[in-house]
Amino acid sequence: VAKTSLTSPPWPEVPKLPDPVEEAKYHAEVVQKVNGMISAGEYGRLFAVVHFASKQWKITSEDLIMMDNVLEAECGDRIRLEKVLLVGADDFTLIGRPLLGKDLVRVEATVIEKTESWPKINMRFWKRHNYQRKKIITNPQTVLRINTIEIYPCLS
Amino acid sequence: MVVLSAARWLRSRLTDRFWRVQEVLKYARHFRGRKNRCYKLAVRSVRRAFVRSTKARREKKRFLRALWITRIEAASLEHGLKYPAFISNLVKSQVELNRKVLADLAIYEPKTFKSLAALAQRRRQEGFLAALGDGKEPEGIFSRIVRHHY
Repeated sequence: VAKTSLTSPPWPEVPKLPDPVEEAKYHAEVVQKVNGMISAGEYGRLFAVVHFASKQWKITSEDLIMMDNVLEAECGDRIRLEKVLLVGADDFTLIGRPLLGKDLVRVEATVIEKTESWPKINMRFWKRHNYQRKKIITNPQTVLRINTIEIYPCLS
Repeated sequence: MVVLSAARWLRSRLTDRFWRVQEVLKYARHFRGRKNRCYKLAVRSVRRAFVRSTKARREKKRFLRALWITRIEAASLEHGLKYPAFISNLVKSQVELNRKVLADLAIYEPKTFKSLAALAQRRRQEGFLAALGDGKEPEGIFSRIVRHHY
């Protein structure tokens, strides 16, 4: 039969998904391999994506982070950052949906300094109306140093 | 005797005019032309510079988001996905990474970005099958919604 413009649907042909049983086996194998790698410690530097102070940061160890607000902790306090979205090394990544479990990752940080930002100038001016307002704003800032990122082999 | 007001020969004179003028000129030193030296011209330029910097602080956020989106689009096209498909499928798979972090991953962690693109592609296929297959086939693995209890 000749092929016309209406023989096949206008959307592209969708390939079949692989067999679910085989897929489950493959997934279990991958999970076991990654678990083995984590417990054997065969990873180099770990990086993590952390949700903190209403922002997402991509951090590694020995990293400095500056937040534009106040943290209720003294200088020198050790802090544990929960809400980890992603952890990765060179050969594997653990993607959270949306967060990873607290028994899987541990991110530690120390508060280094609490200062104010440089004086930012806020000025409003309307021409021909003799209206100008000048305000100097200094936001409080906190600097954190990320000490360690650790992962524990408890995948399933 | 008690004197309530100052005598008429005592006048008040402005003694720190130099420093008041320098306060404005210090912000104009890197400008071009006479407005970096002459106070009258400098006052106007400095005022416009301040107003522009306040407005720019609000537009910087829009500009940076557009930049991130461009970068993510370029990176996902390298892996054969368009930006709307990539972002929508990531959100449907409950991966809540924002555009800033996705752009950073695309630059510094190419393998991780490739795995995210593969995840989005797989979720897209499952979405197509669910829409076209009329519910007789089993649901896709990556389309399952995870409910956490923290």
